[in-house]
Amino acid sequence: MTNQVDAFTKQICEVIVGKNQAVKLAVACLLARGHLLIEDIPGVGKTTLSQALARSLALAFQRIQFTSDLLPADILGNSIFDRSKQRFVFHRGPLFSQVVLIDEVNRATAKTQSALLEAMEEYRISIDGVTYELPEPFFVIATQNPQHAVGTFPLPESQLDRFLMRIELGVPDRASERAMLLGMDRREMLKELKPVISPRTLVEIQDSVRKVHASPALLDYLQDLLDASRQRHSTGLSPRAGLVLLHASQAWALMHGRDMVLPEDIQAVGIAVMAHRLGHDIEQPGRSGRTLADNLLHSVPVP
Amino acid sequence: MSMSRSKRDRSIPRRPLLWLAAALLFTLPPMFRSLAIWVPCLFLLALAMKFWMEPRGYRLRFAIFKLMLAAVAVLIIFASYNSLKGIEPAVSLLVVLISLKVLEAHTAREFQVMVLMGWVICLCGFFLSQDFAAALCLLSAFALLLVALIQFHRAASPGALWPPLRTACKLLAQAAPLIVLLFVLFPRIGTGFRFEFRDLRAAGTGFSDRLSPGSIASLANSSDIAFRAEFPGSNTRPIGPMYWRGAVMWHCDGMEWRVPYAPASISRAPNQSPSGITIQQRITLAPHGARWMFALDRPFETPQGAMLVRGDYIRSVQPIRKTRRYEVVSSPEVTRNDLTPYERKEALELPASISPAVRELAQSWVAQNSNSRAIINSALQFFRTQGFRYSLSPGEYKKDDLEQFLFHRRVGFCEHYAASFGTLMRLAGIPARVVVGYLGGEYNDLGDFFLVRQADTHAWCEVWLPESGWTRVDPTNIVAPGRASLDLNSFLEGRIASGQMEPRRSAFLARLARSAIFTNIRLAWETLNYQWDTRLLGFDADVQDVFLSSIGIANHGPYFLIVEVLAIAVVMLVIYFGWMQLRTRSRVNPVKVLYERFCRKIARLGAQRHPWEGPSDFSMRAAQLLPHESERIQQISNTYISLRYAPEPDAIMLDTFAKEVSAFGR
Repeated sequence: MTNQVDAFTKQICEVIVGKNQAVKLAVACLLARGHLLIEDIPGVGKTTLSQALARSLALAFQRIQFTSDLLPADILGNSIFDRSKQRFVFHRGPLFSQVVLIDEVNRATAKTQSALLEAMEEYRISIDGVTYELPEPFFVIATQNPQHAVGTFPLPESQLDRFLMRIELGVPDRASERAMLLGMDRREMLKELKPVISPRTLVEIQDSVRKVHASPALLDYLQDLLDASRQRHSTGLSPRAGLVLLHASQAWALMHGRDMVLPEDIQAVGIAVMAHRLGHDIEQPGRSGRTLADNLLHSVPVP
Repeated sequence: MSMSRSKRDRSIPRRPLLWLAAALLFTLPPMFRSLAIWVPCLFLLALAMKFWMEPRGYRLRFAIFKLMLAAVAVLIIFASYNSLKGIEPAVSLLVVLISLKVLEAHTAREFQVMVLMGWVICLCGFFLSQDFAAALCLLSAFALLLVALIQFHRAASPGALWPPLRTACKLLAQAAPLIVLLFVLFPRIGTGFRFEFRDLRAAGTGFSDRLSPGSIASLANSSDIAFRAEFPGSNTRPIGPMYWRGAVMWHCDGMEWRVPYAPASISRAPNQSPSGITIQQRITLAPHGARWMFALDRPFETPQGAMLVRGDYIRSVQPIRKTRRYEVVSSPEVTRNDLTPYERKEALELPASISPAVRELAQSWVAQNSNSRAIINSALQFFRTQGFRYSLSPGEYKKDDLEQFLFHRRVGFCEHYAASFGTLMRLAGIPARVVVGYLGGEYNDLGDFFLVRQADTHAWCEVWLPESGWTRVDPTNIVAPGRASLDLNSFLEGRIASGQMEPRRSAFLARLARSAIFTNIRLAWETLNYQWDTRLLGFDADVQDVFLSSIGIANHGPYFLIVEVLAIAVVMLVIYFGWMQLRTRSRVNPVKVLYERFCRKIARLGAQRHPWEGPSDFSMRAAQLLPHESERIQQISNTYISLRYAPEPDAIMLDTFAKEVSAFGR
């Protein structure tokens, strides 16, 4: 199982050069059944990453560009009157897919953003009183430009909490960039990608992630982290944050071939999981969530 | 800023206010008993007003108005006590000012001030009264104030009633050992520090140096305690009636008798030590502000701080202002065999105002009889046969009403009989004196002590007989047979039951008072009171000295004691923290303890683990820092990881881990 995951990770790393850590986090997020938020400037390979993930898994892929005039119906789907059948027929929107890339998620209005909520959390869509189940696995990758960009609608806290991780890709280092410049066209590479893991195997792996052992000592550490965050910040980590942090750590442990979670696993995924949840501290506006999460990990002792 | 502003303006929540009010109600009983009645009433009114005002947001706002109220209060206090000095006016002033504060208070800070003032009132309550009931009230008040404060700090969520109560109980329980320690070890303020705790009511209602008609009868309804007596060594309990000797009166003025102004001290000569039965008594005397001390008829060994005076009774050197406990030895057979001419003269002195009819009566006995004993018998015969009645309310007599009493009304209480009998004896030429004290006492079998009340005050006569010296004659016993062997209340109950007297209270109450359960409750309560008085209030500097030297702590003065208290407190704290440490440590699992040991060892080698560093990360870093130990470090870390984080750690691994860790670094 670990071998398959390794091969999968390796294949993506060939496309996204020099971003091993970010890729591994993205994979862990996928294995933990979470959604991913990538926050970075355009052109660093956000779309490429999501496409590489979709293709390597042989999953259906859709890309939605969010704009300020986008309406919920545009992503969920529409009921249209069919003259021949004399009734309304529901036309599924782009969200009915397995890997959905939402570009510039913070450009859409709150109304559209919240339409994503139910889909992301419940894995289903309700429209005109009918509920449609989404296909499994369902994985949302959203990208957003840094908050200071003009004309954006910052994601509400409730929605931020629905993303398991927020990662940054960043510009590659010099050597990696050179490799990229010398190498093949990324589009060509994407086309040639072969599925490494079948959707069925993916679901199996996702199931076994939940079975990775978390010992009492580890849960102590996890709860110490949660408590510390609640004591230090006005909005500490929610119980759901604690749960998904555990899932992400389990995925990380599995990726490293272990059947137990270590504090190091929590620390490895900690910043990606906690930063965007701590970033909204009103009392300490000057400090980014990343710094807060980093401080937390560097001050709570491992029991 | 906005937070503090909102805090300042909010009204005090209802629940803590209720607790506070309950606490303050418990401070009231001692006040009602000793302060001017309007003071606690004003306090109650202020509390009631507060509950009416608080929800409406009314409060005393204007400084000038408050100042005026305070000034008026001071004036009224001055008017009711004629002074601002002393305990009562001072406590009254405090209570009145606190009442005003209650009406004024509305911020969080002021609530805390009110609670603190409540504690001050508790302290003042002890100035006013130190008996057991008051102590119970004040303890309740103290605990409730604690609850009020705890509840106040939970104001945001009133929640259940029980949690703040439980917290308060826990706090008190934690404080209890310290209280006991301080009670036992804290230096008592000695007699060098003069501080009058209260004005003694007993001076007015109790025993006095003058026996006038009606002075004892007025005490018959008093339930105040005079003293309590124990007989250490139960075989020495007296067999006959218990006459507690208080004072001997020499000066006769018809129906009125008086103690000499300055009783002369006497010393008992060694050859007069008693040969017969001696009775040892341990007496706990309620404070009465005078110098009376009591002992069974007749004392011959004086306790400390007291002297034996002419007339064979004991008298304190200092006025008794707080509960006093003393031991005294008496013997019924002690007599003085000599009567000095001066004493004889004094014991025969008579006022000029005695009417001829009375003189005639006494002379008739002298004419009929040859010796003193016969004269006494004639006199007793006179009382027995001439229709004298025993009554608690004999009507008013003046001091010259001897004739009125002997020939016309013939109704009296013990003091009438003792006074008139003594006067008649003197008229007949027999030296006589009147003794006042107490008679009987109620035996409490729970606490094994006798309780003597003010109601048991009694007066009797002593006459000089050449062959036996001063001899007790109790004319009351002739008129009311049976009184001597009972305390007054039991005696009266008996008389009421047999129809000889009018009942003093309703039949139902009387029956209730006699019922077994009520009697037992009363006895238990009296025993508790007795224990309180003797064990707690009686624990003064002397008792403390004795106690401390008995447990091996020699008393080297107050400073040494304070150091000792501090040392014991420090030792207790150390034990407490040590115990806490042990308790938390025992909960930690052994794997972690071993790993910490490993970390300490490796830190000595130069690789310090950060507290937040996971074991795997640390082993890698340490292996890089200490390349020659890298293998062992990796191994130990792996064992630790599998012991601590793996699904099913092997029990045998723990042993190997322990060995690995102890072998490491050697």
